[in-house]
Amino acid sequence: MTVMKTSRRNFFAHKGRMALSAIAVLLSVAFVCGTLVFTDTMNTTFDKLFAATASDVTVLPKTAKADGSTPQNGLPESLPASTVAQVAKAQGVKSVEGAVSSMNVTVVNSANKNMGSSTGAPTIAGNWTKNDLRSMEITSGHAPRGPTEVMVDADTADKHHLKMGDSLRTISQKGDFTARIVGIATFKVTNPGAAVVYFDTATAQRELLGATGRFTQLGVTAASGVTDTQLKQNVAQTLASSGTYKIQTAKENADENRKGVGQFMNVIKYAMLGFAGIAFLVGIFLIINTFSMLVTQRTREIGLMRAVGSSRGQVNRSVLVEATLLGIVGSILGVGAGVGIAVGLMKLMGAAGMDLSTRDLTVKWTTPVLGLLLGVIVTILAAYLPARRAGKVSPMAALRDAGTPADGKAGWVRGVIGLILTGIGIAALIGAATAKKATDGSLVLGMGVVFSLIGFVIIGPLLANGVVRVISVVLLRAFGPVGRLAERNALRNPRRTGATGAALMIGLALVACLSVVGSSMVASATSELDKSVGADFIVQGNQRIVPQAEKAMERSPDLVHVTRYKDLDATLTSPDGQKDTDGITAADPSYAQDLRRATTAGELSAAYGTNAMSVGSKYAKKHGVHVGDTINVAFKGGETAKLKVAAITDDDVAIDQGARYTSIATMQKYLPANKIPPNEIMFAKAKEGQEKQAYAALKKAMEPYPQYQVRDQTDYKQELKDQIGQLLNMVYGLLALAIIVAVLGVVNTLALSVVERTREIGLMRAIGMSRRQLRRMIRMESVVIALFGALLGLGLGMGWGATAQQLLALEGLKVLEIPWGTIIAVFVGSAFVGLFAALIPAFRAGRMNVLNAIATD
Amino acid sequence: MTSAVTIPRHGGTGGRTAVAARARQVVKAYGAGETRVVALDHVDVDIARGQFTAIMGPSGSGKSTLMHCLAGLDTVTSGQIYLDETEITGLKDKRLTQLRRDRIGFIFQAYNLLPTLNALENITLPMDIAGRKPDKGWLAQVVETVGLSSRLKHRPNQLSGGQQQRVAVARALAARPEIIFGDEPTGNLDSRAGAEVLGFLRRSVDELGQTIVMVTHDPVAASYADRVLYLADGRIVDEMFKPTADAVLDRMKDFDARGRTS
Repeated sequence: MTVMKTSRRNFFAHKGRMALSAIAVLLSVAFVCGTLVFTDTMNTTFDKLFAATASDVTVLPKTAKADGSTPQNGLPESLPASTVAQVAKAQGVKSVEGAVSSMNVTVVNSANKNMGSSTGAPTIAGNWTKNDLRSMEITSGHAPRGPTEVMVDADTADKHHLKMGDSLRTISQKGDFTARIVGIATFKVTNPGAAVVYFDTATAQRELLGATGRFTQLGVTAASGVTDTQLKQNVAQTLASSGTYKIQTAKENADENRKGVGQFMNVIKYAMLGFAGIAFLVGIFLIINTFSMLVTQRTREIGLMRAVGSSRGQVNRSVLVEATLLGIVGSILGVGAGVGIAVGLMKLMGAAGMDLSTRDLTVKWTTPVLGLLLGVIVTILAAYLPARRAGKVSPMAALRDAGTPADGKAGWVRGVIGLILTGIGIAALIGAATAKKATDGSLVLGMGVVFSLIGFVIIGPLLANGVVRVISVVLLRAFGPVGRLAERNALRNPRRTGATGAALMIGLALVACLSVVGSSMVASATSELDKSVGADFIVQGNQRIVPQAEKAMERSPDLVHVTRYKDLDATLTSPDGQKDTDGITAADPSYAQDLRRATTAGELSAAYGTNAMSVGSKYAKKHGVHVGDTINVAFKGGETAKLKVAAITDDDVAIDQGARYTSIATMQKYLPANKIPPNEIMFAKAKEGQEKQAYAALKKAMEPYPQYQVRDQTDYKQELKDQIGQLLNMVYGLLALAIIVAVLGVVNTLALSVVERTREIGLMRAIGMSRRQLRRMIRMESVVIALFGALLGLGLGMGWGATAQQLLALEGLKVLEIPWGTIIAVFVGSAFVGLFAALIPAFRAGRMNVLNAIATD
Repeated sequence: MTSAVTIPRHGGTGGRTAVAARARQVVKAYGAGETRVVALDHVDVDIARGQFTAIMGPSGSGKSTLMHCLAGLDTVTSGQIYLDETEITGLKDKRLTQLRRDRIGFIFQAYNLLPTLNALENITLPMDIAGRKPDKGWLAQVVETVGLSSRLKHRPNQLSGGQQQRVAVARALAARPEIIFGDEPTGNLDSRAGAEVLGFLRRSVDELGQTIVMVTHDPVAASYADRVLYLADGRIVDEMFKPTADAVLDRMKDFDARGRTS
């Protein structure tokens, strides 16, 4: 009981000193809870949406993909209209409606602006049925009637300022057609961002499926008293003979839809939780430092407790009870802040074009429980070592003159363990760098990263000695005695400096590693593009290239050639009898110029001859294929061709690694026209000296199709760079949390050091150190600690990054590029972070009353 | 009211005033109204240059407060304090800090030294902070005087308590301050180490002409001084020249007895 009481009193007496630790716990817990609430809310939104859109029973073609994606020929799978009548006969059916829906569309306004979502949500076009009234209501105008009428969802209309009477052009595999807006329908549940347009049934069938009398799915409504499961059985019985249908209850349909979204959400969730984990890890250092300092400061007090009869266990427990209180306070606040973060993220997504409603805000009971458990457990774990040290304080400490707290020395045991771990880590990294296969190497790389990180954390205090001295020689000596004092202060407790620096090291190591990998990616891709790409222009987009766009491109002037490129589903059987389903690429012969590929045997151009093909060198080696051998290619939806291998391409590349090429002409012999897929990507070459005009003309020609990007090589490289840059920025943003916690750690260390050194500061002030000198001293100590962490982190991270590049060289990441600009910026930035972290501690030290400082006991 | 202004304003010390520091009608009060506590009650005092002055008095008499005020560590409620001809009351923190740095030396009871600096670095710290080069010859003489030549590279935690206080004395002397203030400088030392330190202070007055003011409650320590000031209830109640330990002790017993009977 007494233990509880002293702990509680201590906790509240030192709440100022605990504040930053609490904030660290708060931030980490908030990030975890924020992630959970955010992803749960997203899931709720989709659940509601899917639940609202699903019919009691849905009948689909067996071949329909769960995610609603269109098959390779660009037309949705469909079933005959006659099925409607068949299903209607089943028992318990109230009504059956045939629905047409396609996601292989782009909708543009009269200014050729894409009405689709910018966040990756699909554009969906379909016919308006009664079933749609489950999830939507018409809020203005009327449902579309006839081939020139379209209805659009209210969110899209709002976003793009669409009005009744505006015209919308729908671009599908079957061509373009324009219709006037006659109605606007509003979702009754939250629609996270899909753009939806509706036509009447005949128009939808003709324009989206290219066929009359076919539907992509049937929505069956149950008569009252009939359950979905019963209805499904009844419908199945009626359709049993055919067996080519997928029949789902509303729940099954929603579940299937949810699965796809759920997987995507899980990726987001675990990625974000990973970053939260890093923040927790960094927070641990902060908490360890706090409790170590509190225990040191309280040595006399603890000695007294021991002298009057407290057991080691009691002292130990009293510290852990304080940690528990800290964990609870930090976590509770963190859970609250987490909900705030989730709402903030939702607003952010809203700004990016993804609509989420706070009505759907989902806080599962597991979220606060998990947050609280995590926060408390991590805090207790972090406080464990300092607590044990407290337990070891001898009763004699009460009698001894405490004086300045004993300096924490870095022991040799720690050094040996740290060096061994670092050694293992470095060995693993070297192993990874020299690995023969990327898959083997990645595990070794992971091991290398983990071991070298742990090793560095452990030998951090030992490194602090050397590194801080070096930094000081360069930086601080210029500041005379104040600099020297700062250096000595940073060095007086290497364990504390080490832990504080290590916290910063973790975040910065990841930043450095990723920036090295990212810029190596850009450099490698650029170098390969320069080497191998012969095409002047590259056209691609998130919808495969529809025939009308292909024609527009072919008509564009000043082009020597236009190359079509199609990915085909096919099963290949090599001469040794092995099958694979990796498909084949069909392109025009000019592709051999657009992408120059070295061959190990044969001429690449020959692969585009009649009934010829090429294979990659890895495949050739694995299956013992030589030029002149025959491979059976079973085109999906077509016939099986016997193609002669005319060339073997060198697989030591990043673009099209392992691709098998054949000509479009050859492919057309074996695949019926309605099964031939649209182009994945297209290339063009300009006439000599006409590049500028050709580029402008091509861009102009493709203007009606804003879903496709037309780029020349320069723009393409820039785009690549921008994309990687964006990705890196996102990751840096997530790492910012860990870095913020680390900076709090520096603030914490300094603030507690200032309290601990009250007497010294008083003495220095008494014998004539000015406030400004004092503040400068603390700032410089802070800068040194920050730079120490930055140096370690950047060094470690660049090592990881270089190793990863060496490993990924096997996958085409051939060029190592160290982004010195970024690295130096981070290093210099760290110095400023140090200055910033010292602001408040330095201010407080400067304000300290000299007399009180001297009189402190 | 007893006044301690007994030293002639002009003496024979080469044109400089014979008074190193003086206090005029100094009042130091804490709080206000009913809870007002007066620590110094209209104190007038002159500190003679080149002399060793001890300030004595019971706990709460205001002796430490007087020293802190004279040394520019604490502000006064009213009255003036002069260091030589400079009035230090009313100076801004920045000027006051400079003044302490350049013209005053300190020896505290404990925690005199920075643990991160070695003995020599501690000794030269005030000059380092000021950006001044120490006078090599003088420094060597001071170090020699306090007997630390072989210990200069030691950190404070490698020195005994007596040695640490000697380093503090050396630091106070090294910058040649106009006046050194000691706050119970031997309070934490055993009698032998204490005698050693007091001996150095005495010698620095006799041989180097240093001015020293020391707060103490130890009659033996006070007996090293040229003059003892007695404080009680924030006022100077008595003084003694050429004190001996016994005389000081008797005088204090006397005060105690009076204090109890009054």
